[in-house]
Amino acid sequence: MTEQIPTDQTKELPPGLQLEKVDDRIMTLNVGPQHPGSGHMRIIVRIDGDYIVDADPDPGYVHRGEEKMAEVRNYLLNIPHLERPVIHDSCNILYPYVLGVEDLVGIEVPERAKYVRVIAAELNRCVYTQYWLAIYGIFLGHSTMFMWPAGDRELMIDLLEKMTGARVTHSYFIPGGVRNDIPANFEDVCLRQVNYFEKRIKEYADIFYDNPILKARTEDTGVLSSQDAIRLGTTGSVLRASGIDYDVRVKEPYDVYEELDVHTNVLKDGDSYARSKIPWLDMLESCNIIRQALEKMPKSGSVRTKLKPNPKGVGNDEVYRRVESGRGAAGMHIISNGKPEPYRVKISPGSFRNLIALPYLLKGEKLGNMPAVYWSLNYWPVEADR
Amino acid sequence: MGTATGIIKALNSGVKHLAVKRFTLRYPEQKLKLVGDGYQFDPATGVGIAGYKGRHMLFHDHCTGCNLCSIACEGVAEAIGMVKVPNTWKHNKKAIMPQIDYGKCVFCGLCVDACPFYALYMSNDYELSSFTKEGLIYTPQQLQVKPNVQQDAEIQIDDRGATHG
Repeated sequence: MTEQIPTDQTKELPPGLQLEKVDDRIMTLNVGPQHPGSGHMRIIVRIDGDYIVDADPDPGYVHRGEEKMAEVRNYLLNIPHLERPVIHDSCNILYPYVLGVEDLVGIEVPERAKYVRVIAAELNRCVYTQYWLAIYGIFLGHSTMFMWPAGDRELMIDLLEKMTGARVTHSYFIPGGVRNDIPANFEDVCLRQVNYFEKRIKEYADIFYDNPILKARTEDTGVLSSQDAIRLGTTGSVLRASGIDYDVRVKEPYDVYEELDVHTNVLKDGDSYARSKIPWLDMLESCNIIRQALEKMPKSGSVRTKLKPNPKGVGNDEVYRRVESGRGAAGMHIISNGKPEPYRVKISPGSFRNLIALPYLLKGEKLGNMPAVYWSLNYWPVEADR
Repeated sequence: MGTATGIIKALNSGVKHLAVKRFTLRYPEQKLKLVGDGYQFDPATGVGIAGYKGRHMLFHDHCTGCNLCSIACEGVAEAIGMVKVPNTWKHNKKAIMPQIDYGKCVFCGLCVDACPFYALYMSNDYELSSFTKEGLIYTPQQLQVKPNVQQDAEIQIDDRGATHG
């Protein structure tokens, strides 16, 4: 006979805590926050047998206070820490900040710098997407898909290293252009490696995207209809996989995207398979954009407008700029009160917009499908937590 | 496409890679060739010169002890502290020079951008590990030593794939 554990039901619990009602059928599982299957985030899953009844994502584990930190540093010194939320996509997360500060301070960017920024942003999108694809592969049990993207990513990192001088956190964009000009002979090396990279990622079709085992795993799981995608406010690959033709690069072109031919990839199914395929198609499109930008880029000229040492906004002013990052529309809302430090920097990342869809997608799915659905959202916990 | 065909195609795609060259940098033996001698900045034009952002190089004959690199680092990593140097030059009347703590440095290079006297550059040296925390703090004397690096591996692409030379 087991001894009954005495429970003091009369004792008051601290505010915010409540005793869980034990149910015979429903079990609560904490996936994360240190579980590799969830990233640095906890998903509270309630399951009935093998089926998910309810899923509650709990972000905030890696919150770093980026927005508060931005209020005590001037516009230039904000650059190294504002790219920390997504170090794999550091150019794209910095892009809206740089565009916003340029609007606030009122400086023009040289034409060549705009092209260099587009090339760096597209290379960085490939770096991010390859990393994401590697994780998506390994959590579906496809270890080849972990090795290949992680290896081919090196081609793009090498190009970025030649351009910016750092492998991951580049601190390359700056209000007024870019920090340094691209090295001599970079165009040839870039073209050669991008062409080879494109050839490599096309090979992923046979082993991964056309693989019947992957399709069986991901097709018709976590279906998000186009109405729901709009209603929940999702962006980026999640939105485009649900059949909505929306890409910030096309709808609100910034820098020189207007002059480049950008094709938006749209799939109609809205399931995990479509959501995982869109970033791969976007990488192929990125290769196209880089080739166009290399061709149209002015061969010489300045890449940076000289700034005053302590750039300030003019009086009380605010600006909101957004770009298409690897995970969707990333925006920055910068408010200035005429001081060298911004009054407020609000980061609006794509990851956080997409997370809201998770509870709707997981309801009724098998627990084994959770990684397939969760990672297909292209979610990056550190970015969402800021 | 049937299931069997799809699986055979996927397997075939992997088998083909037996003939593809291995794309791995055998690191301690091979080191990737980096562009130039490291990140530099030209205050006259206000534009940097492309290069790797590694350990700093301090030119004692240019440094005036103006503190600007330290001020720039205050908002980023607080890695640069100014220390007294025993020998004094005419141009460095304060006799202070930057000392860099690589336990804190994030290698953003904004200190290089801040230097108006061409005194602080970055070099290709990235092997800075140390057994002690004190070993990560580089004094002005250590910073003026030009690093001896041998980096020559480059990505080469041919029909059979990419390799590191």
